[in-house]
Amino acid sequence: MNLKTRKLAELDRVIHEPGRLMIVALLSAVEQADFLYLQHETEMNKGTLSSHLSKLEDAGYIEVTKTYRGKIPQTLLRLTAEGRQAFTQYRRRMKEAL
Amino acid sequence: MNQVERMMERPKLYYNIDGVGELGMGFMLLCFALLQWLQINSPAGAIWHRVYVLFLWIGVMGVVIHYGSEAIKKHITYPRTGFVEYSKRYTVWHPAVIAFCTSALVATGIAFVARSHWETGRSHWVLTTPAGLIGLVVVVAYGYGIARSVRWKWAVAGVMAICSVAIALLPEGAIGSMTGSTSDFGAISSASIGAWLLIIMLYGAILLISGGISFLLYIHRTQPAAETAE
Repeated sequence: MNLKTRKLAELDRVIHEPGRLMIVALLSAVEQADFLYLQHETEMNKGTLSSHLSKLEDAGYIEVTKTYRGKIPQTLLRLTAEGRQAFTQYRRRMKEAL
Repeated sequence: MNQVERMMERPKLYYNIDGVGELGMGFMLLCFALLQWLQINSPAGAIWHRVYVLFLWIGVMGVVIHYGSEAIKKHITYPRTGFVEYSKRYTVWHPAVIAFCTSALVATGIAFVARSHWETGRSHWVLTTPAGLIGLVVVVAYGYGIARSVRWKWAVAGVMAICSVAIALLPEGAIGSMTGSTSDFGAISSASIGAWLLIIMLYGAILLISGGISFLLYIHRTQPAAETAE
């Protein structure tokens, strides 16, 4: 296995999935955003987006806060310090591998 | 990786998805144009020439822009396409750097114009070109900050660029006549003042129209999200 292939093999699988990569990239540029914003930007349906968010939350990469905007439920999402670090590392490894 | 970088840019471009950024800028420029017009058309001792009025004007304008934008975001944008909270880097540092660069540009332009006034045999272009050049810098910033996310905004950037060039080429008498004969601006010539007034008036109106169109298109294309659990 050469160095580039090894770098690719070391990529974080949680972030590497295209849908989750989009979510993490979007959240990395903001303090926090809500579910509706991510749905609008990624064009995923609610089920798919929820499933990706659960995986990211299980990995400790995002923090989910359930709240209300007036009487409407709102789900706020924020990248954790661990998630931010994992994304930075992912980008660095990807650049090295390409 | 380019796609990832582009994705990271999207939240920044999202701020003007409803045209609020342009509406704010347009309103600000028209406020400054109104103040300058009031200064031009009033005697030297009038209230509009006092420094505290300028600060008061900027304060009121800032409050209107801040709370107006916030109200539109809260009641229209967030229920339709979602809420985003930007980091301090974007909400404090970037605007501070932009404000500093803009002030430096304007100060350079004014210094250049004032200096040219004392030079004998000055050309017309020396008086109006700084305003046109600064206008072109604004066009470049507009292209980078707004037009790259919405294709038709390049037409707006084009119109702004044409305005800058046209103002620099207008006859001195035509521009100078905008300031009337009662103005007293010391070393700065009436043609230079006229060029500044014209450029901020035109840019303000263009941005307000462009922002208004974006706002109407946004309302037309989006619907408030259903009140269901996420």
